[in-house]
Amino acid sequence: MKAVHYLNQFFAGMGGEEQAETPPTRLDGAVGPGRGLQAELEGVEIVATLACGDDYFAEHEDEALAVLLEMLAEIAPDVLVAGPAFGSGRYGYACARLAASAAGRGIPAVAAMHEENPGVSEAGSAYVVPTAVNVAGMRDALPRLGALAAALASGRELGSAQEEGYFVRGFRRNYVAEETGAERAVELLLSKLAGETRTEVGGDMDRVEPPPPVADLSSALVALVTEAGCVPQGNPDHLQSVRAQGWFRYDLGGADTLASGHYESVHGGFDVTLANEDPNRLVPLDTVRGLERAGRVGRVHESLYTTTGNGTPVVLATKFGEEIAGELRDSGVQAVLLSGT
Amino acid sequence: MAWELATYPADLLREPEPVEGVEVEIVPAGSPVRVTHVLDAVEPRIRPDGRAAFPINGPAGEGRTNRLDGVVVLSCLDFPGEERPLHEQESIVDFGGPGASLTPFADMTAVVLTFSPGGGGHVAIDADARRTTLAVAEEVARGTLDAEPDEVESFELGSADESLPAVAALIQLSDLGALYIQYVYGVPAGEAGLPRAVDPAELLDGAITCGEYHWAAMRNPTWFFQRNELIRTLYREHGRTLRFAGVVLMRGYEQSAADKQLAAERAAAVAGEIGAEGVVITTDAGGNSHTDVMLTCRACEQAGIRTTVVLAEETDPESTKPILTDWVREADSIVSTGNVEELVDAWTPERIIGGELLLDGTPAAEAGPIPVRNYLGAANQMGQLALSARTE
Repeated sequence: MKAVHYLNQFFAGMGGEEQAETPPTRLDGAVGPGRGLQAELEGVEIVATLACGDDYFAEHEDEALAVLLEMLAEIAPDVLVAGPAFGSGRYGYACARLAASAAGRGIPAVAAMHEENPGVSEAGSAYVVPTAVNVAGMRDALPRLGALAAALASGRELGSAQEEGYFVRGFRRNYVAEETGAERAVELLLSKLAGETRTEVGGDMDRVEPPPPVADLSSALVALVTEAGCVPQGNPDHLQSVRAQGWFRYDLGGADTLASGHYESVHGGFDVTLANEDPNRLVPLDTVRGLERAGRVGRVHESLYTTTGNGTPVVLATKFGEEIAGELRDSGVQAVLLSGT
Repeated sequence: MAWELATYPADLLREPEPVEGVEVEIVPAGSPVRVTHVLDAVEPRIRPDGRAAFPINGPAGEGRTNRLDGVVVLSCLDFPGEERPLHEQESIVDFGGPGASLTPFADMTAVVLTFSPGGGGHVAIDADARRTTLAVAEEVARGTLDAEPDEVESFELGSADESLPAVAALIQLSDLGALYIQYVYGVPAGEAGLPRAVDPAELLDGAITCGEYHWAAMRNPTWFFQRNELIRTLYREHGRTLRFAGVVLMRGYEQSAADKQLAAERAAAVAGEIGAEGVVITTDAGGNSHTDVMLTCRACEQAGIRTTVVLAEETDPESTKPILTDWVREADSIVSTGNVEELVDAWTPERIIGGELLLDGTPAAEAGPIPVRNYLGAANQMGQLALSARTE
């Protein structure tokens, strides 16, 4: 099995800070700390070392990555190993970005650096092994880096961060626990009753703090947004009834009401029969127009934003929300009536 | 009151009489078979005293019930493509390949019933299929009536040390409308006078049946109530580490914000009435049933009842973003039953039963990787299985 090792200009023996502008360079075999690493790589040979100056990478990241990835593609290694970068921020960042890019292209990748190195959070789905803050930790770092790299090259399915000794990447992965969920639930509850609260799902959910109230609704531009799957009759853009892949914007064209027969809900998660008899009950355009005429609402935004909120992965729903909110902000909308189902 | 569950070996399985419009097939454990469009899974049960194994007039959890060990009845039905408010989702049981590890049924002998729906609309078709499935589950256990059991378990809650914490199970049952309903003594959960306390043995003895066909992995089929791991764990721990205070059934998919809040507060009140100091709250299905669970968690905590919630996660495997549909700060003790969005490696079965095409039109034999979501009960939120998720 083949490995490629990434080093900065210093560890590759090309020079210190004065050589930090060195562009990506390919060297044969193991170089510098790669020789020590090679001894820890059972069944894996470092066939090439890629080196790049830290400043060059920082200042020309896209070009540097493009060249390095091209070199990687030519070699097609079983694993990419980067560093150890210890506490060096620029070097750690370069290691992490290259490892992340390689992993994103299907090349297993592992870097090594200190826990406070800013690169740790830049490694994407690549693995990062912890090291000491400076080069004095090389002797400790290489066996752990080598073991993980060899495991990755072999295609073995890795265990948890704790078991394998890499930094938690933040991905949720399924595994089969030793006890059933029921047994674990009773155990967690008894522990909580005894004063020690534990959880398998961290309570760091994405909470959105509400903005301050609208100061004067009678002069505000108000938009209607819904996840009720409300679309023009016939669903011209094929909004999905479940697991929506996007959202749509429809011009209300000054209409006073969402008339039955002109709008419908394609939502697959609730009984839409009554809603389709009067789509205003999903998106209350009739009422809001009344408030607009009465001067209690400044103006109704003429675009209706809609999607289907039914089984949508949170990551996609978050993206829809950010995109819609961005358009509303750019349109000067100050308040939104968001009807959910 | 004591209830006895007598266990008999699988070889007493009786092949059911032919039923019109139903294809019956016996699938041995570990066969290279994929079963599709699975509605429900039921353990064969019969009562020696002649009362119904799945009673609609109650009570369950009394006297003796016989069970066939290692046998499951699976019902499969592809509903006609008529206009209807709620849609069943694909539901798979693999008896081999990587999906087999996601189900307890791959290790069992399965009596697979494939229904050919007649006319009459989805409500009537479903009611007929459920009735037939439960009847077959009773019929195939008939051989136990003249045999000696391997084992008899007795379920009775004797007195327990008062210093042990009193723990209840708060079980959520879905009722969103036709095809998304669980039944209490044959009555839809929404019409069954929930929340209310029941004897734990009732739940184990066929009082709850499943007609809920939303995301397969987050479903609690009938078998999961009959063999409920949470209730059995609480019985086992009664007098050892806790006092089992009882079971509260509550409805999921309450339909208005006010009803959700009210149901949560009433469930907490019932848990308080049976003396619970702590409750394990279980969940069925996804979406706004998760809001019901979170509100119930909050209501219990506010009533001074400590909670642990059992939930499946729904996150993109490539994301490190949040993972639950809803969450309240009081939910500080959560058991994860796994991430339903993770893909299960492709497997090519030798045979398909239930329907050759998945509901999305993919050939079931060459479906490629399939999300956990589509495997029946795989990430069920009663803690029946051991699947979980962790941060890596």
